[in-house]
This record gives sequence, structure tokens and C-alpha cells, in this order.
Amino acid sequence: MDKQITIKVADLIGSPLCISAEDGQKVFDKIAEFLKDGRNVIISFDRVSMLISLFLNVAIGQLYGSFSEDEIRAKIQVEGLSGDDMELLKRVVDNAKRYYANPQQYDAAWQDEGDEDE
Amino acid sequence: MKLNVGTIRSTCDGFSSIAELAQDASDLWLDNAELDFSRCVFFDANMAAPLYVVIARLRDELNDVTIHNIQPSTERILKKNQFLTVFNMGVLSDTNQTTLPFKIFKRQAGEQFNDYLDTYMRGRGIPSMSDALTKRFRQSLFEIFLNAGIHSNSELGIFVCGQFFPQLHRLDFTIADAGVGIRENVRRYTGRKRMNSCAAIEWALTEGNTTKTGNQPGGLGLKLIKDFIRMNEGKLQIVSRFGYYEFSSRGDSFNKMDHDFPGTCINIEINTQDTSSYCLKSELSSDDIF
Repeated sequence: MDKQITIKVADLIGSPLCISAEDGQKVFDKIAEFLKDGRNVIISFDRVSMLISLFLNVAIGQLYGSFSEDEIRAKIQVEGLSGDDMELLKRVVDNAKRYYANPQQYDAAWQDEGDEDE
Repeated sequence: MKLNVGTIRSTCDGFSSIAELAQDASDLWLDNAELDFSRCVFFDANMAAPLYVVIARLRDELNDVTIHNIQPSTERILKKNQFLTVFNMGVLSDTNQTTLPFKIFKRQAGEQFNDYLDTYMRGRGIPSMSDALTKRFRQSLFEIFLNAGIHSNSELGIFVCGQFFPQLHRLDFTIADAGVGIRENVRRYTGRKRMNSCAAIEWALTEGNTTKTGNQPGGLGLKLIKDFIRMNEGKLQIVSRFGYYEFSSRGDSFNKMDHDFPGTCINIEINTQDTSSYCLKSELSSDDIF
């Protein structure tokens, strides 16, 4: 059995607009399902006309909460993204790695700053 | 009750004046709210979106809101951008087609917002910007619009409008909601019950900070917009409750307003002549991403 699966994002969400968290969740669920089965996944962004970080955080960033970096690196590929969208995805992935490495760290620096009644 | 609308520009003072209106009218219920424009000698068209935050709240309290003594120049601006249609006061043809009209969207109406941008940003008086600039601008608007839907916690909708200033080569676009404000979300998330509005905006602007629950990463949207505005030499304004934030080539500034703006409003102003590519030099491959 061919273990490689291509997920066509625009087909899956029924739109060329990758903008909502709900659609991102749909893509995440599908990718996670196949990764759990040990399959290699190609995420195709062909025909996608708009992509924002809100969507990518949920669709791809969230994977780092369920799978290891090694597993993701070995099993996932993306295609159909322009150079600037690749940069955006890289930002999202780096942010997700930091988030899952230590989710509380972001808050710690803000203790007692700007606390006053309005 | 008569509410005086003064001159409203897209500045801290302009937002503060709108917040003052909201504060003056905060106890109105099942009443009449008369917006008196006699002291308004100028109204920046994009400020229709934050003004509607006040109106939406008044209407939600079942008040009857009416417009009075509006001066011809202001009326012309607000009819061209279709704002006065919410008072059944008609529309004026936008001959130069420099307006992105005032519109109320339901939360999460991303597809309709896309249709709106397609309609009003293509082949009209809005200049033909480079593809890269158009894309980054639209991405920024979607980030703001969709995040407003998630974080505002308000059913009153998302209010948008924009204006192109041909002589200045500037395009302003404003997105507002009548929600709980950034401060409330950050207070709930961090557990810091007394965090002020400016500190909350600063928190939200920090990469990786997000009030989204459900163990999902986030907190990139505003940072990406700020990076874009920096490269574009444009301007970003964020107004939420008592907090006013502005970022431009002159730097960052926070101001505490005297009055409580009952929601959140983000205005982005871009330099439409920008020809930057907005793509870093390095060519990333799929293997570099993960």
C-alpha cells in the first residue's frame, strides 16, 4: 500500500481562502489522522489564494502539540506555496515549537507590568 | 439625549472623542440618541467604523439613533462611503472611486469580506499596487478581521471601511468591533485583573502571546502586520478601551485615553507606492520548514 497521502487543502475546506480557525482545524484533523497511521503526508496548497497565520497556527502549528519534531520533519511535506507564504509558514512553525516547548514562558515576563485600575 | 460629535480625525484625539460619546451615552436605554454634528467641521471617512461601535451599542440597547445638523462637506463624505445608509440617508456616487464603503459583517464572515475586497479594491480609483503589496495588505486585513471575530466576543458584528488619499499615496483601512476589548481578554488569560489597556495592547503585540484557549499556538498576526507596516513605512493604530497605540516610521507610542472606547479598532494605513517584494532573499524548501 502506498503510504504517501496528498491532502489538497483547497478541496478539503471547499475554498481557496485559508483564513479561518475552523477550516484550519479540519486540515489539522486530517493530517493528524494520517500521521497516527504512520503515513507520509503531502500538504498541497495548490489553488489557495489567501493564507494567514490564524489558519496555519491551527492547521500545522498545532501538530507540534501532538507529534514530535522528528516525526513531523520526516513525514510531512508542503507544496504549492509561494516564497512569501513559505516564510509565513516558517514563522508559524518556529512559533509553535517555542509555544509547545514551554507554553507558560510567554506569560512569565509580564508579571506586575501595567497593573493599575482604569 | 443630544450627543455632540466634534471634528473627528484618525488620531488619538479623534478616537478619544468617539470614546467620550460612548461614555456620555452609556446609560441610555429605550431612549433617543441624537448625534449632533453641528460642531463637526471635518470627519475622516475611515472613522465611520469606530463611530459605528458607539451606534451599534446604542441600538443594541434599543435606542433610536438619529443624525442632526450635519454639514454638507461631512454629509458628502459619509454618503460617499455609504455610512449614512445605516440611517436611511442615501448614498452619493463615489465618482473618483476612492472609497471602500462602510459595511457591517457578521462575525467569521471571511468569505463575504473577501468578496467585499474583490469588489472595491480592483480596477477602481484605488491605485494598482504591486502584487506583493496587495497580498500583504489583504493578508493583514484578514488577520485583523478574523481575529476580531474570535476575540471580540460580540454578536454586534465587525465594522469596516477604507479611504484612499490619492495625493498622499496613502490607503487607510479600519476594522472595528464592539467587543470586550483586548484588556478583558488578556486579563482573563493572564489572571491579572488590573492590567491596564495600554499594557494589554503591548502584551498582544508581543510575538507568541495569544489569549486563544485550547492549547493552540498563536499570537503572530499583529506582529506580522507590524513587520509589514515597518517595511511599507505605513502606520498602524490600535485602539481598545482606554488604550491607544500608534506605530509608524516615527516609532511606537502608547497613550491612555481619557474615555473608555467600548470595543477595539485597528486602522492600517499603507504607502501605496511601495514596490518592496516582501519576500526574504532565501528560498525555503519544504525540508527547511519543519
